[in-house]
Amino acid sequence: MIDNLYKTFIDATRNVFNLMLHLSEISDHPGEDFKSDEGVDIAVSIVGDLEGEVIYRFPVSTSLNMVKIMSGMEFEAVDDFVTSAISEIANIISGNVLTELSASDLKCDRLPPVQRKPGEDPNKDKEYELKTSCHINTSIGEIGLEIRLNRI
Amino acid sequence: MLWKDEYELGVPLIDAQHKELFKRVESFLQALRSATSWDEKIPEINKTLDFMKRYVVEHFHDEEEYQKSINYPGYKCHKQIHDDMVNYVLDVSKQYEKCNTNEPLMQQFGGRLLAWLINHVAAEDQLIAAYAKKKGVSGNDR
Repeated sequence: MIDNLYKTFIDATRNVFNLMLHLSEISDHPGEDFKSDEGVDIAVSIVGDLEGEVIYRFPVSTSLNMVKIMSGMEFEAVDDFVTSAISEIANIISGNVLTELSASDLKCDRLPPVQRKPGEDPNKDKEYELKTSCHINTSIGEIGLEIRLNRI
Repeated sequence: MLWKDEYELGVPLIDAQHKELFKRVESFLQALRSATSWDEKIPEINKTLDFMKRYVVEHFHDEEEYQKSINYPGYKCHKQIHDDMVNYVLDVSKQYEKCNTNEPLMQQFGGRLLAWLINHVAAEDQLIAAYAKKKGVSGNDR
């Protein structure tokens, strides 16, 4: 399981997007050069048998489309409402991944999601044993995912 | 419309409560996101918070009783999710009562509530329905 964290996160994202947003066409590819404009970066810290963080990068248009699908309402800008809804989705995906990991006897917990300004990265110089990034493509836009974890 | 028929569990009491929850949350979001002034939004905000504090507790209790009645194995975990949400609603209410001009707090509450409710009913609660169906204890007599 631990060697397949990338797939675990992608599968969890796919399931959540399918159930909550009715998005079925989702693809992914590894890559570190994700451009997130002025969108929403959400960091979810992981503690326990694995420690580190997962950063979800939601560009503006992707964020607005996600909230529009959930609410049926139009949103013109990323505000407190949109950021909170997107943070909860990142929290749900992370929670589902941790549930999967617990089936492999990896006991981890997550801290509440924290919003970061795009480009703000207080942990960029830290060393991580497990580090991977990817782009997730959907019909309503791209999402960037960065996983940085150490085994404890 | 927020509610979707695919969210139905096949348990009339719980389905009716879910529909009521979605209806109230939808009204709340419409008021919260309307172009009117914050003062004009306050009555609907107050109404929703009062409703949530009362109805969420009642609904969660009924849902937990149903889970116990069918020996749902995920009961403990599901109850923890409910308890966390109740605590969040109570915490937001307390913060709001201190200063009901706190629009950012309510916007954050609305966004989280929307995503939480959809995921909870579309994913977590469906696990109960799937278990009940598998065990042949769908609970339609409730």
